[in-house]
Amino acid sequence: MDATSGKAGIIRASDDDGTMTKLSAAVLDDLLYNIISDLVLQTHREEKIAKANTAAIRVEKLASEASESGTDLAPDVRIETDAAIFDDGKVYLKGNPLKTTKEILCPKCHLPRLFHPTDGKGARKPDPTILYCKKHPYIDKPNCDIYGQMWQGPGPGRGKKKKDMEKKEESAADRPANVLSFPSATCSKCKRCILVTRLNNHMGSCIGNSGRNASRAAAQKMGNGNSGEPTPPSSQKVTPAPGSRATSPRKRDVSEEGEDESESSHKKKKHKSSSVTSNPNPKKVILKTKNSFKKESNGSTLPKSSSNLSQEQKAEYDIPDLGSVEVPPKKSTNKASSPAKKLKAVKAAQLPATLKNGRDADGESESSGGTLSSPPQ
Amino acid sequence: MAARPATPASPKNVKVKEPAPGSPLFGCEHVQRLFNQGQEIMNHSIGHYKMILRGIFDSTPVVPQTFTNSQGQPTTCLTSTNLCLQCPTNLTDEERLKHGNKTSHRFYIDSRSGSLYCQVCDDIVWDPTLEELRVRKIGTGSFSGRKRKHDELFPDAMKEDPRYIATNTTLASCRANGLRGIYNAGATCYQNVVLQSFLHNPLLRNFYLSDGHQSSECGVSYCLSCAIDDMFQDFYALENTNGYTAANILSGFWISENKAFENLVTTREQDAHEFFQFLAEELHERNGDGKKPESGSEHTCNCVMHQTFYGKMQTDTTCQNCSGTTHAVQSFLDLSLGLESLVQKRKKAVKEKGGNAPPLTLIDCLDEEYIKSDKCDYRCHKCDSIQQARRLTSIKRLPNVLSIQFKRFEYKQGRHDRAASKIDDPVSFPLQLNMLPYTHRVRAKEGREGRELERSCTYDLLSVVVHVGEIETGHYVSYCRVGDQWFRFNDHNVRLATVSEVLGAKAYLLFYIIRSLA
Repeated sequence: MDATSGKAGIIRASDDDGTMTKLSAAVLDDLLYNIISDLVLQTHREEKIAKANTAAIRVEKLASEASESGTDLAPDVRIETDAAIFDDGKVYLKGNPLKTTKEILCPKCHLPRLFHPTDGKGARKPDPTILYCKKHPYIDKPNCDIYGQMWQGPGPGRGKKKKDMEKKEESAADRPANVLSFPSATCSKCKRCILVTRLNNHMGSCIGNSGRNASRAAAQKMGNGNSGEPTPPSSQKVTPAPGSRATSPRKRDVSEEGEDESESSHKKKKHKSSSVTSNPNPKKVILKTKNSFKKESNGSTLPKSSSNLSQEQKAEYDIPDLGSVEVPPKKSTNKASSPAKKLKAVKAAQLPATLKNGRDADGESESSGGTLSSPPQ
Repeated sequence: MAARPATPASPKNVKVKEPAPGSPLFGCEHVQRLFNQGQEIMNHSIGHYKMILRGIFDSTPVVPQTFTNSQGQPTTCLTSTNLCLQCPTNLTDEERLKHGNKTSHRFYIDSRSGSLYCQVCDDIVWDPTLEELRVRKIGTGSFSGRKRKHDELFPDAMKEDPRYIATNTTLASCRANGLRGIYNAGATCYQNVVLQSFLHNPLLRNFYLSDGHQSSECGVSYCLSCAIDDMFQDFYALENTNGYTAANILSGFWISENKAFENLVTTREQDAHEFFQFLAEELHERNGDGKKPESGSEHTCNCVMHQTFYGKMQTDTTCQNCSGTTHAVQSFLDLSLGLESLVQKRKKAVKEKGGNAPPLTLIDCLDEEYIKSDKCDYRCHKCDSIQQARRLTSIKRLPNVLSIQFKRFEYKQGRHDRAASKIDDPVSFPLQLNMLPYTHRVRAKEGREGRELERSCTYDLLSVVVHVGEIETGHYVSYCRVGDQWFRFNDHNVRLATVSEVLGAKAYLLFYIIRSLA
């Protein structure tokens, strides 16, 4: 044992170091090597299985096209691509899928996966001519969530001046599509439409026993003897006075863009008339998987079938960049563009309309109540 | 297949895993060629692969890590070696090619991960048949699937037919992945963090998404379980990425007449842990046997909450006078771990010895509570008098999802008033947790059986609830793991989180999920 380093060769002892130093350098180096090789192996597994499956999906698609055009389900269809062979209903790989297959198809919708986020860290512009699977890499950008969304800051509170109102109207009109506003929800008791940030307080006075008088009584009861109640009796702010913002005791958060606080009273009236529900889709969708009772929690050790690569890890796989910012329109996603998708398309047709392009429908219904302005887009 | 008694000598012919549509039959052409050489060769190869996996995962790593070097001496190394699939040889990377050329054995198994290397491809190969064996071995410690149990769970074989599933269900969009924020309805972040940890709990998710509680068939008005059911639907079936408005849960919460949680129902910020207890009891009542869970009793139930969160602990009290021991068993929803005494002890130690004490760990807290015994006064039946007794609490049955609460909020009894205070000291916690030392079976045998037991007591971190800020004006955020990726949920805002960010958080509640469902 007189090597100065281990397998990775990152941690090195010098030649004239003592045996113990050399040994510990070698051990540490080997451990680093193991950590790196475990990480690489995990990524390799996800990538290679995804690509092998992509090759299989492609060749199966060609086979089903071939058999559909001829007699129904010819058993002796044999299709060969660069990456795989379809023979007698089975798929055999040809060569190394990491080399033969460039993109990854989603096993569910058979559309290509987008490799890079569209915004933020490691972002690249997607090819506008390609229809991608809707599962995009998550966006890592300050002040945005994983979908690149932002939320509109709170409007001016109660007792604001007319000037502020006008200003708000303006900003709402030209706010970009990815800036969302807080939606409203219907109180299940009085069926009134309440801005979500006020919902708890509303329910307190509408359903709960913490109506104006009840809460005062309770506060008095608890307040006796300077109780250990950790919170000031803030339920009294059911009807906040002007300037309650400053003294409001429970306003949370360190980093968030502010939210909450009250809405002006005339706004409330408007909400009532627009009557928006937060759940526009009453129809139920069941996700039934064959192994629904099998558990999938073993994430950290059990390799999974889906690729969870982050954008950095995938950075080496290029997608053609045609220099346009536009993302393919969402609507076309549901059109069956290829024969292999026909089956799915039938299914999609049975879906309630809200689900089909649920994002658009929901986005509108949820946000239109929150602001007085036009819906996003 | 698995219903047959699996005697090791039975000359069972192994089969290639039936491929699902959209996946190849073999890992590469060369594996295909090997398996197509005949049933005997395939039996031998797969049998040998299983044996190697057993060697890697069931015994000490010394054996697969030891090879014979060129001078004929056994050598042990830390990095991976290559175990030949076709003969009992262990080789270094350098020797591998030589061996391959001499014997035309082309497949080698990585001695640390059990993955298969194909020399012709010069790459690791993920063969579906072999990979399934490896994943099972890592996950459950055995090769056989839980087929029999599965059949019992689903006696209606017709319902397992893929065509039946295809016609009676709708496929969710690829975007619907359960990652959405929940709007803060005015000081409700303590609810949001608990709801997020429920949403990303695979057991609860599978229960609700497989129609465990159908809101369309439930007659209870303002049923909280229905509200949770609707929430799961909205998270996992809709493409919406906007935040979720938990209006029905909130109204169910307000309307609930659970007397024990009367004080919780206010418009003020509350304790997330209490809300968790509230939800657990409420959902038990909606889905369970209808019996109220009494604290301190050994209550079990088949409802989803009990199957997910509840375990049992045993308290052994030994009389110091007559050495008579009594056992008391009670079920628990979570483990509450005190921090105050440990924090004080540490501060004292630093004062006396100087220097920096290492940060408090979850293991320290568990050791304190479930390994060390404490003294108490106890009325012994044998002695018929009050005696000093030793009391030791250990876990009798571990739950599938282990929830742990750090008692960060303490009421200090002052002379005139009780003031709440928060202990803000960091407590480090691991991604993987071995609970075996805290069970009453800790004195298990060493070796294979011990390893298997340890495997069955291994937990993975699932979600973390953090309270930031002061006790009066604080805010709750949570971290949940989806696959291997962590996300940070701050009300409606969801963003990516790194593992180090998660592990560096000052946790209040921890949820660990068992690695293998036995």
